[in-house]
Amino acid sequence: MGDGSVNLPPGFQFHPTDEELVVHFLYCKASLLPCHPDVIPDLDLHLQDPWQLNGKALSSGNQWYFFSRVTENRVTKNGYWKKLDNIDEPIFTSASTKVGIKKYLVFCIGEAPAGIETNWLMEEYHLSSRGLLSNTSYKRRRNPKLDSSQWVLCRVHERKGDSRQGLCYDDDDDGTELSCLDEMFLSLDDDYDEISLPN
Amino acid sequence: MSEDMNLSVNGQSQVPPGFRFHPTEEELLHYYLRKKVASETIDLNVIRDVDLNKLEPWDIQEKCKIGSTPQNDWYFFSHKDKKYPTGTRTNRATAAGFWKATGRDKVICSSCKRIGMRKTLVFYMGRAPHGQKSDWIMHEYRLDESNTHNTSASNAVGDTSPEDGWVVCRVFRKKNYQKSLESPKSSSTSIDSRTQMLNSSNNDGVLDQILLYMGRSCKQEIETIGNINISNNDENMRFLTPNNTSIVEGLHERFMHLPRLESPTLPSLAPHNSGSPFDQDRSLKACYQSIDDMFRETEPSSTNQVSGCNTSPDGPKAGLNDWAALDRLVASQLNGQVDTSKQLSCFSDPNMGFCLSPDDNDVQLSHLRSHRPNQTSQQVYNSEIDLWSFTRSSSSSSTDPLSHLSV
Repeated sequence: MGDGSVNLPPGFQFHPTDEELVVHFLYCKASLLPCHPDVIPDLDLHLQDPWQLNGKALSSGNQWYFFSRVTENRVTKNGYWKKLDNIDEPIFTSASTKVGIKKYLVFCIGEAPAGIETNWLMEEYHLSSRGLLSNTSYKRRRNPKLDSSQWVLCRVHERKGDSRQGLCYDDDDDGTELSCLDEMFLSLDDDYDEISLPN
Repeated sequence: MSEDMNLSVNGQSQVPPGFRFHPTEEELLHYYLRKKVASETIDLNVIRDVDLNKLEPWDIQEKCKIGSTPQNDWYFFSHKDKKYPTGTRTNRATAAGFWKATGRDKVICSSCKRIGMRKTLVFYMGRAPHGQKSDWIMHEYRLDESNTHNTSASNAVGDTSPEDGWVVCRVFRKKNYQKSLESPKSSSTSIDSRTQMLNSSNNDGVLDQILLYMGRSCKQEIETIGNINISNNDENMRFLTPNNTSIVEGLHERFMHLPRLESPTLPSLAPHNSGSPFDQDRSLKACYQSIDDMFRETEPSSTNQVSGCNTSPDGPKAGLNDWAALDRLVASQLNGQVDTSKQLSCFSDPNMGFCLSPDDNDVQLSHLRSHRPNQTSQQVYNSEIDLWSFTRSSSSSSTDPLSHLSV
């Protein structure tokens, strides 16, 4: 799988917004519409430990994307996905229509409920059929017989290092972050007197 | 097809949903800018040409849009043919303000080879010198001349721009958390951003900043040494090869050492900031040269002391601490400390980093001397000789050898 069906020049990454994931990819999947680009594969969540996703799920940056059947029992061979306590996060379009929710999960090794938490995290995107169906433009364009209960879109990544990063999904932005040095010079341009280097 | 249609066919975007243009620096230089310079066509024409003088940063967003996914950064080609009438500096003024270069240029490498340079600019509203700084930042990438023409003369000097004059630019808005740096009073947040900066893989080390402040940094010189040794394309530099590993390792070690050292305060450095990167380089060269000259005047014959290095076997690891020692020296100089004898003593340490190998230091030293006039890697030689000069002075002089330095 992968992004073989997309022929783009160097420098493009699959880096979708939540809205794109739900409205474009998950909606097409659930409504059995052809999805272009057809880059996200179907996987059986039960068969995949997160470290086995490489080569099976769509990989971009440090994220893996795949569709899975909805299930409440997210047990895999070596562990299980545990829902985090967060309230499910609603996903809105730019027009403030609620189109879906996402759930946060963490992978635990062992048997529930005594498993050991790992650094593997998942965002599970669910379609909010009411939101999409109430939107007339979608109603007109898409198949209204939407089976929103059947599919979820999973985005998995392994948290690196400390927990400070938390559920931050921004990749290491090459070049758009200012380097430490740039920062210093920028500060110095303002006033030379107020800055001192860290110890 | 009009220029505005280059990313879409019949109103349909060629970039599928979910895909974002976010090239690496290597892709920008190696793929896009090289094709541009060579006038080759680029698929989808993703990066368009922009007249920087006619484009305000807030218009870039619309003009340089790629695909439908929201963007945090925008890209364009620009031709640096606009010069001020009085000089060679590029005119980057727009109707509403101007782009001002900040810091010094960063070397962009690809698999250990230098491929280009990156200049960082900030957009100011208004007219210099009374402009008001905005949070629009531009990274301007240019190809390294030595990359396209394999002549050695300009290899060591990073400030030449390719004849063609095309650059590729990335524009973005500075993120908010970075503001914390500008207000030292909010200590907790600035600690956060410091941690962030130190943790970020892309960032220059803190030591690097200090060294960079002095203009042409040791790091860059080391990179030059490393490159030359790896590619082995310069006969004159072969003698350095045995030391290659330790220098490169030393680089990393250096970064780890620096933050623990006494931190110099920046105000003393400020004068260096006023000039353009070019000025800084020049002034630093002058510094090196003057230190060098001074030592040669005071210590005409010094090979004996240097050969003390022969007495102890030094593995490749030996170089690591000595870089830290050099850093300490630089830091103390920047800090305005007068007592340098303590720091300098480390340079007479038999294990010092620039002892190339136990057996042939003298030979190598004479190499350094004899090749000195060779212009090819003048800077490399200069810095090496500086180190040797420190060694000599440490035993002979207790006064501050750098007192004339205006840092």
